[in-house]
Amino acid sequence: MRESRWPNGAYCAVNITVDFDGESIDIVNAPDKTMGGRYSYGRYAVKIGLTRILNLLREQNVRATFFVPGWDAEQHPEKIREIIADGHEIAAHGYLHEDFSKLGDGERSILEKTHAALTNITGVSPKGWRAPRGLMSSRTHRLLKELGYLYDSSFNNDDLPYLIEIDGAKSGMVELPQFGFLDDGPLYEVYKTPRTVEKLWKEEFDAIYEEGLFFSLKLHPRGDAGSGRAVRIRAIDELLSYIKRHPGIWFATSAEVAEWWLERGKIS
Amino acid sequence: MVEERKMRTHTWPDDARCIVAMTVDFDGTANEVGRGLEPVGIHSAGEYSARCGVPRIMRIFEKHKIPATFFIPGFDAEQNPDLIKEIHRRGYEIASHGYLHEGRLLEPDEERELLTKTHQILIDLIGTPPKGWRNPGGNKTALTVKFLHDLGYIYDSSDKDFDFPYLIEIDGKKVEDMIQIPNNTSSLDDAPMYSRGLIPPGDVLELWKAEFDTLYQEDGYFMLTFHPRAGFGSGPPARAKVVDELIRYIKKHDGVYFTTLLDMARWCLEGGHGII
Repeated sequence: MRESRWPNGAYCAVNITVDFDGESIDIVNAPDKTMGGRYSYGRYAVKIGLTRILNLLREQNVRATFFVPGWDAEQHPEKIREIIADGHEIAAHGYLHEDFSKLGDGERSILEKTHAALTNITGVSPKGWRAPRGLMSSRTHRLLKELGYLYDSSFNNDDLPYLIEIDGAKSGMVELPQFGFLDDGPLYEVYKTPRTVEKLWKEEFDAIYEEGLFFSLKLHPRGDAGSGRAVRIRAIDELLSYIKRHPGIWFATSAEVAEWWLERGKIS
Repeated sequence: MVEERKMRTHTWPDDARCIVAMTVDFDGTANEVGRGLEPVGIHSAGEYSARCGVPRIMRIFEKHKIPATFFIPGFDAEQNPDLIKEIHRRGYEIASHGYLHEGRLLEPDEERELLTKTHQILIDLIGTPPKGWRNPGGNKTALTVKFLHDLGYIYDSSDKDFDFPYLIEIDGKKVEDMIQIPNNTSSLDDAPMYSRGLIPPGDVLELWKAEFDTLYQEDGYFMLTFHPRAGFGSGPPARAKVVDELIRYIKKHDGVYFTTLLDMARWCLEGGHGII
């Protein structure tokens, strides 16, 4: 008999996440503020990619979690409101997509700044955080806890969510681990074709489903290292349709998974 | 017509046609800590080895009832003493693999010190000295083998220069009590496939099966190197399944003999089997 770790006897949790890495990535690298030429892939995310992803999720009736850099949210508050209107979750993702392993004492102020920006625009405090490029420090969890976060989704160390410990004690926060192959960024960065990406994701899903684990997909709306282009959206569409043909799937936002895991921890 | 290959001059235990070794480089957080990185966020993939990868890989070995060799950095052994003991208790071979998975060439004094340190850490945990070593990240000096020989090692599994084992030279002379068991981190290693190649697991399985087919026909020596971590490793479900499927495929062939590297080394050093 199949063991269920998920609500209502579901056999596998599927969590779609979108890192809204728009112009924040380019503004840092662009020699001027116009972000022309090669620095305009982030603008593609804002102008086209995001809408494509939102349309797809609406058609597939899947709610997702959007990790948004504070600066991108401030630049395009209307886009954030559009995401929320579709029932998706907004979570934090740095201010200018910083490398959190190198911020030192500046880490707290960046977290606070983004927290305030998102709270301002959405009217609620974000519950979750994800390290830009997965880079963070050994202090980040503690700082997130102080700001009242429920979960982090940055580590690459487990098949399942787990309760985060700080100084050897349960913190009340949950980690939602990620896996490098379930991220469109690195795959498209090395020019994998959408067909290869779709095949790879289906293989990963099959094996995760077989063990009743946690399938957490990370997408980006960008035109370069992301799924914003139409042909790449199709790969996600095919994947979601494929997943839905399996019984016992629980589609959940990151906050819903974290809340469930916390609740489950109290029971067991 | 392809020219018929000359008769083999070496033999394997049980008159096997092909000897097969599954080797697992533990590579926990030592890899990142050794590079001065905090093992958090994306750099936490090494933690996966102990948390998920090693248990899953051991379940696969147990299902197939095959032996295997685990190469362990000393630091990872210190971090996961109970798991290392458990690997040993289940009958797998424990061998050494650097202290912090040193990704550089060491000066002689430091090298001897670190080899000795990891050696002692493993002895303290499993009660018996490791007999094999593999270079972490392909880094090995002209003195490494000599230091290992002094510590009582009987094999090194680092060089990529041959299709089957051969006796090691120290100070320009072949020794009778230490063997090189070559590995191949270009095509029979998961790390380049998944880190640089980003190849779907199913395609990696096809590649490894094709490698096996040719090696089975030729010298009959097949060794796979893989890692139980996430990131570039084979710990996660779809990639562990590749290892599972590959073992299943290999077992369907006549005359395959699964072995630890230690047993292979002993066989080679026994003499009279055509390994020179």
